[in-house]
Amino acid sequence: MSGRLPHYVDPAPFTVEETEQLTPEQERFYFAPNWKVMWWKFRRHRVAVACGAVLLVMYASILIVEFIAPYALETRNTGFIHAPPQRVRLFHEGALIGPFVYGFTYRLDPVNLKREYTADRSKVQRLRFFCQGDPYRFWGWGESRLHLVCPAEGGTLFLLGTDRLGRDLFSRLFYGARISLTIGLFGVAVSFILGITIGGAAGYLGGWVDSAVQRVIEILRSLPELPLWMALSAALPVNWSPLWVYFGITLILGMLDWPGLARAVRSKLLALREEDFCTAAELMGAKPTRIIRKHLLPNFMSHLIASATLSIPSMILGETALSFLGLGLRPPVTSWGVLLIEAQNIEAVVLYPWLLMPMVCVIITVLGFNFLGDGLRDAADPYA
Amino acid sequence: MLLRCRVRGGRIARALPALMLVWLTIASSPTVAGAIEPPVLAARVADGSLPKMEERLPQPPAVVRLEGAEQAPGTYGGQLRLLMSQPRDTRMMVVYGYARLVGYDANWLPVPDILEAIDVKEGRIFTLTLRKGHRWSDGQPFTAEDFRFYWEDVANNPELSPGGPDRFLLVDGKPPRFEVLDQRTVRYTWERSNPHFLPALAGARPDEIFQPAHYLKPFHPRYAEAAALAQKVAEASQRNWSALFTRICNHYHNDNPDLPTLDPWVLATRPPSSRFIFTRNPFYHRVDVNGRQLPYIDEVALTIVSPQLIPVKTAAGEADLQARGLSFENFTILKQGAARNNYAVRLWPTARGAELALFPNLNVEDPAQRALVRDPRFRQALSLAINRDEISQVIYYGMARPGNDTVLPASPLFKADYEERHAAFDLARANGLLDALGLRRGTDGVRLTAAGTPLEIVVETAGEDPVQVAILQLITETWKAAGVRLLIKPEERQVLRNRIFAGLAMMSAWYGLENALANADTRPSELAPTSQMQFAWPKWGQHYETGGRSGEAIDMPAAIELAELHEAWLKTLDSAAREKIWHRMLANRAENQFSIGTVRGVPQPVVVSNRLRNVPAEAVYNWEPGAHFGVHHPDTFWFADAAAPAKR
Amino acid sequence: MLRYLGRRLATMMATLLAISALIFFIIQLPPGDYLSNYIAELQSQGEAVTGDKVEFLKKQYGLDRPLVEQYVVWVTSLLQGDLGYSFEHNMPVSKVVGDRVILSIVLNVATVIFIYVVAFPIGIYSATRQYSWGDYGLTLVGLLGLATPNFLLALILLYFANLAFGTSIGSLMDPQFINQPWSVAKALSVLEHLWVPVVVIGTSGTAGMIRRLRANLLDELQKQYVVTARAKGLPAGRLLRKYPLRMALNPFIADLGSLLPQIVSGSVIVSAVMSLETTGPMLLKALQSQDMYLAGSFLMFLAALTVVGMFLSDVLLALLDPRIRLGEGSGR
Repeated sequence: MSGRLPHYVDPAPFTVEETEQLTPEQERFYFAPNWKVMWWKFRRHRVAVACGAVLLVMYASILIVEFIAPYALETRNTGFIHAPPQRVRLFHEGALIGPFVYGFTYRLDPVNLKREYTADRSKVQRLRFFCQGDPYRFWGWGESRLHLVCPAEGGTLFLLGTDRLGRDLFSRLFYGARISLTIGLFGVAVSFILGITIGGAAGYLGGWVDSAVQRVIEILRSLPELPLWMALSAALPVNWSPLWVYFGITLILGMLDWPGLARAVRSKLLALREEDFCTAAELMGAKPTRIIRKHLLPNFMSHLIASATLSIPSMILGETALSFLGLGLRPPVTSWGVLLIEAQNIEAVVLYPWLLMPMVCVIITVLGFNFLGDGLRDAADPYA
Repeated sequence: MLLRCRVRGGRIARALPALMLVWLTIASSPTVAGAIEPPVLAARVADGSLPKMEERLPQPPAVVRLEGAEQAPGTYGGQLRLLMSQPRDTRMMVVYGYARLVGYDANWLPVPDILEAIDVKEGRIFTLTLRKGHRWSDGQPFTAEDFRFYWEDVANNPELSPGGPDRFLLVDGKPPRFEVLDQRTVRYTWERSNPHFLPALAGARPDEIFQPAHYLKPFHPRYAEAAALAQKVAEASQRNWSALFTRICNHYHNDNPDLPTLDPWVLATRPPSSRFIFTRNPFYHRVDVNGRQLPYIDEVALTIVSPQLIPVKTAAGEADLQARGLSFENFTILKQGAARNNYAVRLWPTARGAELALFPNLNVEDPAQRALVRDPRFRQALSLAINRDEISQVIYYGMARPGNDTVLPASPLFKADYEERHAAFDLARANGLLDALGLRRGTDGVRLTAAGTPLEIVVETAGEDPVQVAILQLITETWKAAGVRLLIKPEERQVLRNRIFAGLAMMSAWYGLENALANADTRPSELAPTSQMQFAWPKWGQHYETGGRSGEAIDMPAAIELAELHEAWLKTLDSAAREKIWHRMLANRAENQFSIGTVRGVPQPVVVSNRLRNVPAEAVYNWEPGAHFGVHHPDTFWFADAAAPAKR
Repeated sequence: MLRYLGRRLATMMATLLAISALIFFIIQLPPGDYLSNYIAELQSQGEAVTGDKVEFLKKQYGLDRPLVEQYVVWVTSLLQGDLGYSFEHNMPVSKVVGDRVILSIVLNVATVIFIYVVAFPIGIYSATRQYSWGDYGLTLVGLLGLATPNFLLALILLYFANLAFGTSIGSLMDPQFINQPWSVAKALSVLEHLWVPVVVIGTSGTAGMIRRLRANLLDELQKQYVVTARAKGLPAGRLLRKYPLRMALNPFIADLGSLLPQIVSGSVIVSAVMSLETTGPMLLKALQSQDMYLAGSFLMFLAALTVVGMFLSDVLLALLDPRIRLGEGSGR
């Protein structure tokens, strides 16, 4: 009955930061943007960082393929068909003379019809750097002859051996990387767009849209991939140029991959749309697209990136599988899948094993992306 | 050791060598000695379910003399292992068995095999005489009735043959007069000579004019009771009786174990399967001089594997006789496995006119392209711009023969000019010809057409063979030096054919002449527009095939000349005249380059188990004629250690 | 509950119908059809195929009817249990597929066992010792199989198995056992040949399984009850086995429904390369030659397997988790 309990109201203005004083390091940590926190967590995953670096180098080298490769794409050496790899050495008879290779002596074994190459120690062929080699057109325009490394004058430099027409495999691997590595990116871009749009609509709008999308996803998941690939690839028009066929293939690979992404987006959105900040935005009059784009998506972009990174390997493998079936890219277009076509016979396994190198490149790339994706995904939940 | 006797006393022992000498003399006399029963059939003969050999064989049987440097009569037994790439390849046993009414001998002349005799008058009256007592593989008699059944109830039955009898039975579109002279003689009479008849009967894929009437009559409405036939059709889930009939009667498909045949080996495994066993035909009509009924080998086992695995499995010793599925590139790996896996790799010459030939499509729709390809100078220039020596060196270790798509040196019609004309690698001449056509060079070195567009030729190919693609890549470079840009476009076979037939493809790549070992008496059908399947002129070929109902008539003098020469050949029977016609056609083709050849004479690796005898060391490996192994008669091959089982 | 079941069943039927239309469509998609492929083959062997013969063959194969009619005929016969007729093999589809299904099942079961046996320990180790070198190394091994193009690996392994053990190349058994009744020798031969395809196909499946197991286990290990148990002194091994592992296994088993069809379709190319007597090569050939009924019916079978599998797992989950069956379909 006596009235209000004694209490004291401080008239001074109130700021949030006063309640808790943060040291500069703490500030950096708590106020760090999302991507920075992700990066810190990502750094702990050493292998993922290493893989990321390797992949970065690989993609960077695509830009200057013509410069790095010792030979041009179609250079043939009729005298060196199915030549084995040449080792780069530094010491010749005890003396250090810089990087060089030994030349080949060639002999055709008439009984077995086998080409025999032996390293001839008398032919010392020093490597040249920043030298003039095969002419090429840089990215299709601008002629040049500058190469990072070339064989000695009149010599050979087959770091990974040659194929049936005497073409250097090492150079062709680089040119093939240009196509194989980018097919994955474009394909993932396609499936990204499809997945976000469709999954976003399903997750946010719910109701019949959600059911319809779920049914479509279920249908696509139940169909075995192989007949879809075969049918779509065989349906590509015949008179398309290789470039258009390439884009057609990326489109096909992307179109068959979006269900996974869409499901992830949908489930995340279903969970997030109940959050208060979403309700608040709606009450303030924001349109659904703005809400999805500005408020919901950034919350799980990291997850999406991780999933996308993990889809790229399956695109690369898909391209090699399609080439194997004769449905994907074919010569004279050069990709790792096309190079592997030449390797799928018993001669490549037994007599010319260096022709299997594209397989190693595929393995390295796929492993790289997998570890990178694992690292990204672990890092995507920084507070977990 | 066929003669065993216990040596009891000294006198018999001393007489033994003399006795043996007498026995051997009797045994090696050219007449058929006492019949020696195959051991696998002995049990069935003993208990009476199978007649004795004398009763199984026709009289007279076909006696096969095996006298040659590498040939000798053999012994029974063994299982021949073959590898094939699809279940449909059970038909290869019909091809390898090569049991034909008339077959080709070593000189490519047709001689009667199943038939006892064949009499040809004026090239138009064929009288066929069967062997007395010849039986089907199920023991039923093989008589003229089987010919009559085929002719009246199959070839002339509107539901089974809606287009009438097959083409080889028609001359000027008219069927022959068919007569049954007696139980084992039939006669076909045409108004004019029919040069297609004998080659059709002796073909790798046989055109057959007889079928087992006793087996097929219950499936034919003329002989079968309607209700019973309807029930058979329902049981087999077919739409009607003709669908059922066509399905079971096809000897070439070789997928019906119940169908009686005259082949040396009969299918014993019911499809579907990935391994087919063929057992000996007890009623086969051939014997050797020692009284053994062919085939020597008791069983053939066909294993179906994916085409990629055939070279590997052969190199691991899992086949006793293999050529199908092996290509020249596999030679090294096959040689490597030879010693360890007890086989030898032989190289047999092939009979193709070219391993890869380019066919400019004279029926191409686009008028500018058509004007170009129809000009012989253009085609000659393209041919001169191909470095054939390099192709042989790079791809075939220098073992192929550079030259035009024409007959091979082993053919009696060969002349060096046919092979070499416009076939040397001469860029100067090529450029000269292209300049003369008015094709100026553009800024990047590629010539421009009259319309100002770069001269690009799209070569469409089935693209399945990396070797073909490699050859095309070599050609790309030399054509670039002549200012022509070549684009290689691999396509599905079906799509490729459709585009060629429709005139959408400007140029295609395929194998060259099928039979480059022709002689004057071989039909020159490959050289003239006779079939839609000829990629140089599909529409003219279609015109000929359909008798003018579809396609286009020939409107190019050089091709008209070929067509007329072809007709002239069909009409004449005189060998000398035929030879002249051949030479004129070959000269025409060499000059006009309707098919631009590259290399030929690439040997075919043939893997032969060391245990297998009577296989020629070197013989021609060709489909038509030759039936791959057929003409060399695998029923005469035998295993030297038939008593010991194969390794795996 | 029954309403939920009923709803799911109805949607399942609709899904299957849509799938059948899609399958029919994609088989027809490449240019041409079985007949044109067949005719091309005849022509390449020198047999003249005139227009009359083409019409005749069309009628025989039933390809003269419009596409929609062909589809309806096929679906109605499917519903009656008649899988149709294979053009290529000239016999009913059930006969063509029949023998191969047993070996397919053997191969796939062996592959699944291989995947679980390999993925399980690696997944657990990876989760418990995150970021250690062992983790990286084992994950590398698990991923290696995924990264290698299968068909090349198959060829290499086949060759070296032959060199080292004398195993005959390709196929699931020695040639003389094909078509023979089962015996001890035949079973041993199958075992001898089985390991190559199982390793090749299985290694690509281990990666996904490892990753799933690792992710699930990591999630569980972060939960409060694990921290509590550890704080209470439970030994690490027993802790792991008793609680989180079981939780982590749930999605594992739920995925089984979709795992099997994945393996079946993923093994098609490898089976074709190795000439195994399973359904893979048959399916590939049927697709390439557009043998409509064989390819279509078999694909429907696979799709039905998947859909039924997903349905069953949904039912199981619904039984376990009431939120799912009540919460479905809420709109915005």
